[in-house]
Amino acid sequence: MIPTELNERGLKAAMRLGVDEAIFVSTAGNEQMIRFANDSLSVAKKTEESVVSVYLAKAGRRIVGGSSNTDEEGLSAFVERLYKTMINLSKEPVYAGLPRDATKLKKAGTFDRRLGDAEKAVSEFASEAIEAARGAGARRSAGALEASLVSSYLLSSNGTEGQDTTSSILLNIRSFTERNASGHGLSCSSSLKGFRPAVAGRRAGEDSKRMLHSKKPDEGTYQVLMSPTVAANLISLIGSFASAFSVDSGTSYLVEKMGKRVGSDSFSLTDHGRIEGGLGGRVFDDEGTPTQSTKIIEDGVLVNYLHNLTTAKRFKAKSTGNAGWIEPDAWNLEVAPGDSGYSEMVKEMKRGIILTSNWYTRFTNYRTGEFSTVPRDGTFLVENGRITKPLSGLRMSDSLERIFSSVKLLSKEREWIQWWEVDTPTLCPWVLVDGVKITRAYGSAP
Amino acid sequence: MIRENVKELAQLSMREARRLGADYAEARVQSSIGSGFMLKNGEPQPSMMGDSFGIGIRVLCDGALAFSATNIMERTAVRSLTAKTVKMAKASQRLVKKKVRLDDSRSVRGSFSAAEKEKVEGGDASWLKSILLEMDKRIQKGKGAKIPNRILAAASGVDEKYYINSDGAETESRVPRINFFGILTAISGGEVAQRMVQQGETGGLEVVKRLDLISKVEEEARILRSVLEGATKLEAGKMDVILSPELSGIAAHESVGHPQEADRILGREGAQAGESYLKKSSLGYRIGSKEANVSDDPNLVHSNGYCPVDDEGVRATKRRLIVDGEITEFLQNRSTAAELGVRNNGSARSVDFNREPIIRMSNTFVEPGDHTREELIREVKHGIYLKSFTEWNIDDKRLNQRYVGLEAYRIKNGQLGPLVKAPVLEITTPALWGSVRARGKEVEFESATCGKGDPMQGIPVWTGGPDTLLGGVRIGTR
Repeated sequence: MIPTELNERGLKAAMRLGVDEAIFVSTAGNEQMIRFANDSLSVAKKTEESVVSVYLAKAGRRIVGGSSNTDEEGLSAFVERLYKTMINLSKEPVYAGLPRDATKLKKAGTFDRRLGDAEKAVSEFASEAIEAARGAGARRSAGALEASLVSSYLLSSNGTEGQDTTSSILLNIRSFTERNASGHGLSCSSSLKGFRPAVAGRRAGEDSKRMLHSKKPDEGTYQVLMSPTVAANLISLIGSFASAFSVDSGTSYLVEKMGKRVGSDSFSLTDHGRIEGGLGGRVFDDEGTPTQSTKIIEDGVLVNYLHNLTTAKRFKAKSTGNAGWIEPDAWNLEVAPGDSGYSEMVKEMKRGIILTSNWYTRFTNYRTGEFSTVPRDGTFLVENGRITKPLSGLRMSDSLERIFSSVKLLSKEREWIQWWEVDTPTLCPWVLVDGVKITRAYGSAP
Repeated sequence: MIRENVKELAQLSMREARRLGADYAEARVQSSIGSGFMLKNGEPQPSMMGDSFGIGIRVLCDGALAFSATNIMERTAVRSLTAKTVKMAKASQRLVKKKVRLDDSRSVRGSFSAAEKEKVEGGDASWLKSILLEMDKRIQKGKGAKIPNRILAAASGVDEKYYINSDGAETESRVPRINFFGILTAISGGEVAQRMVQQGETGGLEVVKRLDLISKVEEEARILRSVLEGATKLEAGKMDVILSPELSGIAAHESVGHPQEADRILGREGAQAGESYLKKSSLGYRIGSKEANVSDDPNLVHSNGYCPVDDEGVRATKRRLIVDGEITEFLQNRSTAAELGVRNNGSARSVDFNREPIIRMSNTFVEPGDHTREELIREVKHGIYLKSFTEWNIDDKRLNQRYVGLEAYRIKNGQLGPLVKAPVLEITTPALWGSVRARGKEVEFESATCGKGDPMQGIPVWTGGPDTLLGGVRIGTR
């Protein structure tokens, strides 16, 4: 069944059962991926899927579900199972209900149709990235290149209809000169036009060469210059912490911080349902509310949480179009640019560390925002404004509020980031932070 | 179980791929059905249900591997996707510098199921809700600091698979699971402590009783209050450390299981999950003391990582990863076993129909020793007992790891003392396993979800071990 038909049949089945409200969101898309390692293909992948998400409500009871069992029989059975389960539940204490007025939300944002069938292009781009890395000094590279075109359709019992399509092409390449010397490159774009595989490959290759003979740093506090890739990892987490669900459940350091300073004057963060060049998002959220641009942090002050209808009712606010039926979440995050250039930022550093990539960010406590993360790939010591040597074996151990309250400079240049460590697409500059705690592991390496 | 007409789609795909020139073909139909329920601060959230159903196809054409998936379960759609997959493999050959080969592992034909007394399908949202409400009530009844924020979530589900490949494997399986996840936030006098709890096993509704789930979480709440109200600062320095089963298990998983995944060692996961500090030639390398013994066993009854036959149709066997301090075995699939010329131990797993099978741990644990907990404590003059942890991470080569303690006690002259606040064990892999002096008799397991692959595959595992004594390691504080 095509997605619109899936929604219509599902909605009819739900209304026949006697629900008060129902929403069906169907997505259909093609994804193609090339994974390579040691400069050679590991696997080529393709998925052709349609998935339907269902929301039912009756007399203050709600249930949500997702199914890829989307033939007519499978869909009916799924809706019936949802209904039977729902009517045996008790009422929820906070029940917002859908708006009475129907909306038509069919204004599609920009997308690149070519990314729905990009098998040949994906393969060529992977070669281009590998060659660029080798040209820059890498001995070998591993990576993943993924192109996708996904269309989403919404139909709700109040008559609201939505339709939108997004496309993206994402390259993640890691190059090595030796086992312990690697560099990382990303290129993320919503269209083929903005995609730069050779630039990502070259960056990975260059850093893999610069990382030869790295040393462990001394523990202590340093100025840290975070690349857009590293900063986006932390900022995408701030996006999750800004969800009113996280705040209400005490799993956010932004609890009781509304209207208060949580960052430096220069730090502003906005979520966009749709933004030109953005890698994801939709013109409607899962409740059929039009998405919008929502300032989360403005000039360092927390100004908004992200809401769906239920959290908005609880917080006496308006939905920001970020549903999630249970948890609101960010669509596309944008950090406001600064006015510095990369070289200028490096020159500002007396004793600092440049981080180009990181992973494994974990929290001691979501409520306090204390965390550590592990830098990987290009990591460099800066002394008196000059890069002096490559570093490895370190860990950044600090808190999100302290870090973003100590932002010294932001770059003019920004990049879209989305990869393994950054779920929410984030448009991010380089970020220079003062006084970051750096630790290292005890013991030797083989 | 998977219906016969759907099995025919898998058979059709395999035959079609071979007819179109694939050297090897496999197809896996998977159905994953589940129910979930969540309480937030005692309030019911909308209940959740999932129903995932589709087919994953994998082919090998002259050393080029291709995987595809669809949920359109019709003959024409499956036939068409199979043709596209073979074409994609052939078209990708120009990117192949090293051909993928598969070893000649013995193919399994047959079916298996995880032990299940009360069918998991009976565990609907109402049943899950009743468990969570009782749990929440008992948490709130506890004396001491308030726990105003409570996320309590439980899920019941079952994975059913039918798998066939052109080398003769044909398997069918049913693995039900019950899982729990919670975040408790205790607040007192402006201080905050938080505990994440995860529990899970394969099995039916009986799992809740077998785990004594409600009492276990109630006890976690009691401990969290004690930590918040009673833990005192520890002076950083060199000391002996006893790792509890929770700590020895996470260390076994992170710094033994992961670096001994052969696909990492061969570079296949280099772009995301990372490589390994070990090389192809590291078998026999001494990484720890004689007391360092770590295994991974997919056949443990009730285990979260239960997987007796892997997703390449190969019998999964216990892997002795470290024996008496020496690295003895890597986790293998058919392709890494072929490349390394070793026996395949059947470690390929996939979480859903639309994910390729890759090398995964199952239940990774430190093997038991011969000490009681009291004997281990008596051996410590100056140290701590690290009972549970909060923050943890490790680098992408699995050498530099960190565990921040939540429930941790001072030990002085062989006596367990008061709680200490946020001790940090930040240590290299050789230093950790090289410092193991003794192990307890009793192995306990924790459930976890292990992330790897692109697209990401979060797979259920157990981590475990006995109390494990580390001699003279550096402990810091947060």
